Amino acid sequence: MAKGRELVGRIKSTENTRKITRTMEMVATSKMKRAQDRVVAARPYAKALGDVISSLYNAELAESFPLLRQPVTMKTAAVLLLSSNRGLAGGFNANLIREARHLVAKLEGEGITVELHVVGRKGAGYFRYVGRELASQRTDISEAPHAADASSLVDGLMGRFISGSLDAVYVVHSVYKSALSAPPTSTQVLPVARPDKTSAQKDYLLYPSAEAILTELLPAYVRNAVYRALVETAAAEQAARRNAMKSATDNAGEMLNVLRRTYNRARQANITQEIAEIVGGASALTG
Amino acid sequence: MLHVSVISPEATLFEGEAPSVTAPAFDGEVGILTDHAPMVTVLGKGTLRVGGGPSFTVEGGFLQVVDNQVRVVTEKAAKA
Repeated sequence: MAKGRELVGRIKSTENTRKITRTMEMVATSKMKRAQDRVVAARPYAKALGDVISSLYNAELAESFPLLRQPVTMKTAAVLLLSSNRGLAGGFNANLIREARHLVAKLEGEGITVELHVVGRKGAGYFRYVGRELASQRTDISEAPHAADASSLVDGLMGRFISGSLDAVYVVHSVYKSALSAPPTSTQVLPVARPDKTSAQKDYLLYPSAEAILTELLPAYVRNAVYRALVETAAAEQAARRNAMKSATDNAGEMLNVLRRTYNRARQANITQEIAEIVGGASALTG
Repeated sequence: MLHVSVISPEATLFEGEAPSVTAPAFDGEVGILTDHAPMVTVLGKGTLRVGGGPSFTVEGGFLQVVDNQVRVVTEKAAKA
């Protein structure tokens, strides 16, 4: 029964694989929940910042802030790609990398020099593989990113934008809409988009002045944009991993059904054949 | 009563009613009571005290008062 033994082996190995993928699915589900909470917890801060900036903003002030500077000609841009350190998350990293490649190609098509900064082993690995030089790479940002990680990523870029050696900064990240939908997107974080709707202007007492407050808030706003990109990407990674591992578990189950059926069929055929042989042998003796 | 929220990028650290708030503004402490005029001020480094509630050490950020809502928004805040 050589075929039967082979099937037993395959059934066992598929069962083991399914055990692993199911465990990974459960781990990713619980990590995803925590990451999701972080996404939600980050909202009030972003809203408070946005509210105050748009209520203080006016067109005359805009001229005096380097972070709001709209470069006349774009010469250099930085693209910050957020990817994950670990794989087995379906198309998660591939999608982000594709988005980054499109953005870089588009910018370079316009004659802009692009420097690429990558977070995460997977993104860095890809660009090393295709032989593209990276301006920097970071693999030390955990799956629970902190606000400090965001400022360490973007502070240098902000400084160079202010000094004029960079004309734009883009972040390629996932937008965590739900556990099933987290499309890769690129967001321009610098120059800061001018708030379009000036919300109902209250007569605030401003200490020390609108200018000083904006000087403090605009960098915080940029850092927060990057922080949000980090937490949303982290949540999207866990969601993608959960989905990938769920379908792997389902597929393993289907495969097991097919293998078991084939195995039983082979076993029964074998028994039937043996009976036929015995009956044949017995009738030969009596006949 | 004031409705006070203390917000950092990572979490809302405090949300609730309080009779007063004392905050470290950039140039010295500022105290806020009910019916304060709408105000936005930059914060310095120091202790933020919510009347009858917790205290926080903060550094930077801003404080906004409007319609008896006090929002303290800071990148660096920790329960003292």
